[in-house]
Amino acid sequence: MKRLRLNKRGVSNVIVVMLSLVLVVIVVANVILWSYQMNQLDWERIQEKIELTNTESLTRSSWSTTEEECTTNVGTKVSGAYTDTQIVNGTYETFREFNTTQDSNGLDLTGACTLNLTAYPRTSLDSLEIQIRYRASDSFERWFLKAYNWTKMEYSDAGFNTTAGDLPTSQFRFYTANLTNAWQSYVQSNGTVRVKFCDMQLDANQTTVDIDFLGVRAVIDGARFSLRNQGSITCHVVAIWVVNSTKHERYSASFFLNSGATSDYVRLDISLPKTSCIVRVVTERGNIAISTRS
Amino acid sequence: MMWKIRFLHDKRAITPVLSNLLLTVVAVAAMAVATTATYVISTNMRETMSERLIIEDLWFNPSTGDVHVYLHNVGKVAIHVAAVYVNHTSQAFISQSVWELNGHGWLNVSYSWTSGSPYYVDIVTTRGTHVGGYYEAP
Repeated sequence: MKRLRLNKRGVSNVIVVMLSLVLVVIVVANVILWSYQMNQLDWERIQEKIELTNTESLTRSSWSTTEEECTTNVGTKVSGAYTDTQIVNGTYETFREFNTTQDSNGLDLTGACTLNLTAYPRTSLDSLEIQIRYRASDSFERWFLKAYNWTKMEYSDAGFNTTAGDLPTSQFRFYTANLTNAWQSYVQSNGTVRVKFCDMQLDANQTTVDIDFLGVRAVIDGARFSLRNQGSITCHVVAIWVVNSTKHERYSASFFLNSGATSDYVRLDISLPKTSCIVRVVTERGNIAISTRS
Repeated sequence: MMWKIRFLHDKRAITPVLSNLLLTVVAVAAMAVATTATYVISTNMRETMSERLIIEDLWFNPSTGDVHVYLHNVGKVAIHVAAVYVNHTSQAFISQSVWELNGHGWLNVSYSWTSGSPYYVDIVTTRGTHVGGYYEAP
């Protein structure tokens, strides 16, 4: 034991080998660990399978309908409820002109619809549309759609694409008014649009009006991208390309799509060209899904 | 005072002390060099392994007559583009000097292309990573 302790031969060799071993271990560990990380990155990239199933221009928002009973300023409600005016399905709410004196029948309804300004911010709106589907017992009397002007504090149709009104029939028909570029005065900051439906003037006939649908929607110029993630990991879309013969436009994005999920990604700031184009979706891991739009 | 004089005049064991000291210095220097070399080599290998670059878009621009390549760094290290080859011939290019992590941008290649012809575009980084492919001019 004493001899082993006093024997110094080979000590330097052992120290050199040990130190070299430490260095080699550091190099190998560094390289292998990093290689493992990069392999994982590549593996995830291979596993990612995103598909752009459809691309279409988005010109209108979804309809906003009344969430409470319309106020009958003139006239009476006969039957139905405001919920009957939320979907075009033939189920309707009925109103009748009110006979104040002889030869003086009139109907004047007002209701409020609220636009979803979170989904469709004011800056992305081009205009508004008010639409009604109705029928009336008197087909000789004109009916008008108006909206509340929050600046002038009155119901008006100034700036509408049509101010001549609509002649009804005994069958349900659509009547749509576009607010063109005067729409801003008709939308409150919280998205409320107050709508008026009224006849032209008091007349001798007591008309009955059935309303199947009444709603407001925004006119926009955006795009909807239908995406499908067929891979086993979540995709993060970071860019959208719109490419045609004259422009190659890149739009930054941040949209997550879970594994196996199908979802629409709506962008109101992307205007697709009228001609054919190629749309590309780029993920954070570097995969690209392509769709050709003709 | 006396012990100091005796100590200064005592020459015994100087050689072993000096040799041990020298050996220690040499050993420390050698280890420092080896450690630095290890760090440099492993860092270089790690960075080379970490480069991932994709071509998001390649545009044969008819209005300028040039080729525009949109690159996106999807790797884990900043990238410098060293050369661009079109049909295996080096071409002049203008781009940002470095693509940081998740960085992206246009790289403009001065090249007179012909409509309908296929071109092999190859982009090489300073660490030697290649990215490219065949593209047909519209």
